[in-house]
Amino acid sequence: MGSVELLNPKGLWLLTGFVPLVIFYILKIKRQRIKVPSTWLWAEARRDLLAKSPFKKLIPELSLLLQILALLALTAALTRPALRGGRIDGDHVAIIIDTSASMGTLARGADGKDATRMAEALTAANDVLDALAPGADAIVIESSREPKVVSPLDRDVRKLKGALAQVAVRDVEGDLGIAVALGADRLRAVGGKRRIVVITDGALAHGGPVAAADIPTQVITVGDARDNAGIVRIDVRSGNDPATHREQAQVFVMLQNYAATPRDAYVTLSIDGHKDPKTSRRMLIPAHDKSPVVLTFSPDAIDYGKGMTVELSPPDALVIDDKAYARVPEGHKMPVTIASKVDYSWVMRALDADGDVDLQKLNLAQLATVNIDPEALVVVEGACPESIPGRDVLIVAPPEGNCLGIDVGKSVEQPQLTSWEAGDARFRFLTLDGVHLTKANPLAAQGAGASLARAGTVTIIGDASVPGRAATIVGFDVGESDWPLKASFVLFIRNIVEGARLHRSQGAVGPVRTGDPHRIALPADVTKITVDGPGMPEHDVDCKGGFAIVPPVERAGLYHAKWTTPHVGSVLVAANLTSEKESDITPRPVTVDATAGSSTSASRLADAHHEWGLWLALLATLLIAIDLFWLTRQSPAPKPKAERAT
Amino acid sequence: MLLDATFARELEALRRRMEVRARSGSGGDHLARKRGGNAEFQEHRPYYPGDDLRRIDWLAFARTGEPMFKLFRSEEDVVVRLVVDASLSLDMGEPTKLEVAKKLAAAIGYMALAGSERTQVLAAGNGLSHVSEPTRGRATLPKLLRELDRITPNGGTDLARAIEQTVMRSPRPGMLVILSDFMDSGPFDAAVSRAAAAGHDVAMVQVLAREEIEPRYDGDFALEDAETGAIVEVTMDAAAIEAYLARLNKLLLGLRAIAKRNRATYVRVPNDEPILSAIRRFVARKID
Repeated sequence: MGSVELLNPKGLWLLTGFVPLVIFYILKIKRQRIKVPSTWLWAEARRDLLAKSPFKKLIPELSLLLQILALLALTAALTRPALRGGRIDGDHVAIIIDTSASMGTLARGADGKDATRMAEALTAANDVLDALAPGADAIVIESSREPKVVSPLDRDVRKLKGALAQVAVRDVEGDLGIAVALGADRLRAVGGKRRIVVITDGALAHGGPVAAADIPTQVITVGDARDNAGIVRIDVRSGNDPATHREQAQVFVMLQNYAATPRDAYVTLSIDGHKDPKTSRRMLIPAHDKSPVVLTFSPDAIDYGKGMTVELSPPDALVIDDKAYARVPEGHKMPVTIASKVDYSWVMRALDADGDVDLQKLNLAQLATVNIDPEALVVVEGACPESIPGRDVLIVAPPEGNCLGIDVGKSVEQPQLTSWEAGDARFRFLTLDGVHLTKANPLAAQGAGASLARAGTVTIIGDASVPGRAATIVGFDVGESDWPLKASFVLFIRNIVEGARLHRSQGAVGPVRTGDPHRIALPADVTKITVDGPGMPEHDVDCKGGFAIVPPVERAGLYHAKWTTPHVGSVLVAANLTSEKESDITPRPVTVDATAGSSTSASRLADAHHEWGLWLALLATLLIAIDLFWLTRQSPAPKPKAERAT
Repeated sequence: MLLDATFARELEALRRRMEVRARSGSGGDHLARKRGGNAEFQEHRPYYPGDDLRRIDWLAFARTGEPMFKLFRSEEDVVVRLVVDASLSLDMGEPTKLEVAKKLAAAIGYMALAGSERTQVLAAGNGLSHVSEPTRGRATLPKLLRELDRITPNGGTDLARAIEQTVMRSPRPGMLVILSDFMDSGPFDAAVSRAAAAGHDVAMVQVLAREEIEPRYDGDFALEDAETGAIVEVTMDAAAIEAYLARLNKLLLGLRAIAKRNRATYVRVPNDEPILSAIRRFVARKID
């Protein structure tokens, strides 16, 4: 078992009772006194007896000894000695340790030092291992976003404790349910008496009763109530300063205060490589409320794509949610490359009219040879090349045949636009009513959402997006319609550009949360990337079709994805906890699903102590009873002479 | 009453069987161990200058022409010294050990007086506390009994010292009868050895109370020493009594060994034993 602690140390005052006890003992007369001719032989006999049985020395003081023992037992009972973790029954025990972000909450330990809830949980887990029945084995499971078996069933407590040493807090939301299910599943494979012990702070993003089927489950709750405020959401975009019209980066941060008192804090933004913070604001976050804050700054040209950190200071009990990471958005001017077989087109004209577009004009032959910004929107008119650089793509009037996976059919005359996807971002604020087409090539769009605009049953504007790249195909030459004469055409082009801008600012995949796998948009011809980041060694990830799936990361921070073939490039990905539920570090009782079988009630760790007070009190009573018997026992007087045999 | 008529008659029969192995030097019924004196002729030896001329056998001188000196075996009476332990430890038991010791002393004294021996009573405590004048003849029996009656329990015991003092104040050895419980851790052995070496015929009569021989206690007791008042706290159980009996047995065996070593008599008398029975063993000079 683990260390013994006294829940009521004041009970030690009872030890002062020794003084009157000894005095009373000295004063009391307890033996029958008789006169004998000589005590010489008796003294010799007693010496012989003591030499033969040393414990007999204690017999004359038995009453005092009993009373001292009773006093000690009573004192011990009053001090409520307890072993942490209680007694663990079972031949096979699954120890599930919550490693979600809230377990990193700091608390002032009994020794005055700051300790995390995880440290407390590991102590409790060690106590549980110490409390295992002889011959019992245990499995250790770490419960974060996904459960992980830290140690398989093993009887070797030393090895199990070694495995426990590897358990650490992850910057992710917790989900005990699947960890308990995993533990139950592993235990079901073995026979005998089974038990699940869950050690958690109860601050879970995915709460609810823990179902352990028919396996008894004990929940040990660690940690105490703490105030916390954290960053629960972060968004970044590039925009213009409304006053100066200068380009600026806009960082939208949502702060949440879980405390019962308002929180006065500074929100500071700093960029990697810069010594000084870029901007800072003082905020008073109301109690139990959210507070949005927008931080803006004008990035230098070299800052685009760099990592930035938003920090809430001074830090509080949970440090991890006091920081959030993001990438400095690219410049507001959207790089657009247009390749056309004509020198000037309506599309080119519309793009030229947009002051926030940095237009690169190429002919079709240059498309494969000229260096094009990998984040650029690429517009191709009158062709559909197999390999298109850049990120988002707009194909206008593709030739018959396959284009980005969509079959382009033979031209049809005078198609009448009948419907379009008004909910799609590309058709925001516009209508295609009154647009007349001379001819169009029908698109064989497959799947829901692939058909954006239709003429009867024929798709004439389709979506050929793939993960990491938004692709739009317009199946007709806009010059052979009256669409360019209408505002909807300009709006359509603007919407396409804005969509590309959004994808560019988000790295095409949007914000990444720790614990989730995430996609990284890449140039389509990149086949392998190397990813590294906080707490993660460099490792290679295969990619295909312009994106890569990176396994879930467990640390918030900035991750670098690099590639060298076919050309050198890199992208920065920010991963954040940003969880309203996980940031709420108030310990909550975790209940075991009663319908799933037998259960033990969840309790705080202190209550999970195995107390001996009752047994000690019973022992004291027994000792007093023996003492009373001893005291009240009549010593028979020497028998009368008449009864003696001569 | 130390002696009654019936008991005296029994003693009368026993007294003739009582053997005394010491001579005290003055005239009496017993042959002296040393030669010389005016009693029975034993042998001649050549005269040496300085010999008493009165002891020259002139007839032998006439016959042999050589002066011959006559040697006689003296006929001496015996002083029977009755050393009675008068310490408080003998004032225990029912009857008390002192009463038994006095009765035994009276019986032995009677037999000695009846045999024309001289008898002396000595009370032993921390040394000799009372010494009577030796008496002789049946007529002095009342005096002897009075002397015994005067002995009262008092103080502690130093038996070795009492014996040493007795030997020192006895110019002539005799029969030394020690009546005590011998519950004394002093150098008793050495004192008896010195008495025997001085020619005393030592007889040890140990008087014990029945509860000393067979203690029947149970429970917790504070035992108070009758002589010193010392307290020994004992929890009486089988083991404690067994240990006590082992010690007692060791003491008795020790006394027996002392008796054997010094050709002494050793009689052990429980306080509830008939006196006559004990006297019979005493007369037979047994070693119990």
